Amino acid sequence: MKIIDFHTHYDCRWFDTVLMDEAQFLPGMDRLGVTIACCSTLMGFHEDCRRHNDLMAAKCWKRPDRLIPFATVDPKLGRPAVEELDRCLSNPLFRGVKLHPVCQSFAPSTVRETMIEILKCAARHGAPVMFHDGTPPYASTFQIAAVARWVPEAAIVLSHGGLSDYVYSAGQLLRDLPNLYACYCAPRSGDLRWLVDAAGPDRVLFGSDFGAGTWKVLAERIDSVMEAGLDPASMEKVLHGTAERLLHLQERPLK
Amino acid sequence: MNMPPILDAHALLGREDHLALEADELLRRMDAHGVETACARPLGAELIVDHRAGNDRVLKSHPRIRGWATVNPWWGSRALEELNRCRDLGAVGLFLHPSRQGFFPTDPVAFPLVERAAAFGWPVMFHTGTYLYSDILAVAEVARKFPRTPFIAGFGGFTDQWFELPGIFGEVPNLLLDASMIWGEAIEEIVRLHGEKRVLFGSAEPRNRYAVVLKSIARLEIDESARRSLLGENARRLFQGP
Repeated sequence: MKIIDFHTHYDCRWFDTVLMDEAQFLPGMDRLGVTIACCSTLMGFHEDCRRHNDLMAAKCWKRPDRLIPFATVDPKLGRPAVEELDRCLSNPLFRGVKLHPVCQSFAPSTVRETMIEILKCAARHGAPVMFHDGTPPYASTFQIAAVARWVPEAAIVLSHGGLSDYVYSAGQLLRDLPNLYACYCAPRSGDLRWLVDAAGPDRVLFGSDFGAGTWKVLAERIDSVMEAGLDPASMEKVLHGTAERLLHLQERPLK
Repeated sequence: MNMPPILDAHALLGREDHLALEADELLRRMDAHGVETACARPLGAELIVDHRAGNDRVLKSHPRIRGWATVNPWWGSRALEELNRCRDLGAVGLFLHPSRQGFFPTDPVAFPLVERAAAFGWPVMFHTGTYLYSDILAVAEVARKFPRTPFIAGFGGFTDQWFELPGIFGEVPNLLLDASMIWGEAIEEIVRLHGEKRVLFGSAEPRNRYAVVLKSIARLEIDESARRSLLGENARRLFQGP
C-alpha cells in the first residue's frame, strides 16, 4: 500500500546527535515501503532558518519525486519571517511549513500578528502548516487549535495529533474546526481509531518522526496504523489520501 | 530458543474517554498473542474516585488477570483500608496516576500509600509523562526516598519526558521502565545503558496493541536472554514480593 510520511526530519544532526545522511534516509523509507516523505529540519528550529531552508531544498531536489521539503521560519522575527516563507513557497519544491513552538521558543499568542501573516501567506500558496503539538506551555494542542481559528482559510496540522495526553481533546477539536488536521505521529492504535471516528479519515494523516528516529520508529508507527482496526478505505486515506489532498499531488504531481 | 510465558505488566480495564476494554476482550487479545498473564489497572472514574469498583474489576475478573490496586491519596485513611482489602484479594502492586488523581508524587498526602505498599512488598507504578503532576523526575524523587521499593515509570514518560530516561535510570537504581507506550529505541537504550532487568513488557491495551509492542521488542538488538527478561522474568520476579 502507498504510504506518504507527512512528518519526517531530514537533517544531519540534532544538537550533538548525528542523524541520517542521504545514504540512510531513502533506504530507510524503502525498507518500510514509504513512497514519499515530507521533510522538516531539526537544527533549523534553533539556527538560521534561511540557511536551513536552502539546505533542505538542495537535499530534497536530489529526489524531487519522493522528498518534499517543508520550510520553517522564526515568527519572532516579524515581517522578515513572512518574507522568508513567501520566498520558500514561491519555489514549487516546497509544499508545506513546519513550526515547532517549543524548539523555536514562542507561544503562538505571543507572536499573533506575525503568525496570522504567516498563515495567510501559507494559505495563498496552498501550503499546509504543521505545528508541533501536545507539549505545554508553548504547544499544547489547544494552543495550536486556537491558531486554526485565526485564519480559517489555512490548513493547520497537529503534528502529533495530541501526542500523549491531548489525544481525546484533539479529536474533539478536529470535529469543531474544519481546517484542523491531525498527523498520526506518536499516539497509539487506540488513539488513531478515536481520531478517525471523531473527525473522519479525511482529517488524519500518517507521520512517523523518521529521521529523528531510525527505521525502527517508522516500522512501529506503521504497525500502529495496521493494528488500529480501520476499514480499508479509511486506512488508505490515513496512509496517503489525506496527505495527497493537502499537498495537491493530483493537481501538481511530483516530478 | 523457547520463550517463557509472556507477562503483561500494564494493561487497562474499564472505560475512559475513547478507551474501553472488558476482561473477556483482554483475554481474547492475550490468547491471540501468547500472553499468559496480564496485570491490569482501572480506567476513568474507577481510577479516580470509584476505587472499590475499579479494584474489584481488575482483581476479580479472571485468574489470568492480576490487578494493580489504585486509590486516590486524598481519600486518607479510607485509601489505606482499601489497600488492605486489595492485598487480601491478591493485588500485585500499587498504581497511582498523579495527573488524574490530583497530586504531585512528592506530596506528603501520597506517602502513606507508598509506605503501605512498601510494607506489603509491592512495587509502585506511577503514570508518567504528563505535565505537570506525572513528572518522571518527581517519581524519581520518591524512589530515592524508598530505595528498597521498586518504582515503575508507567508509560515510560511517554512522550515528552523520553529524554530524561537515560539519566534518571542511571541515578535511581530502583526505578523500572514500563515499555507499554514508549518506542523501541528508548527501550533499547535503557537496556544498553542500565541492563535488561530494568524493563518490563507492558501492552497498554486498549490504547496500544500487543502486536505493536511485541513487534517492537522483537526488533530490539538485544540477546535472547535479555528479551526473556523483558517479556516476563522481570515482572514475575517483581510480583513475587519480598
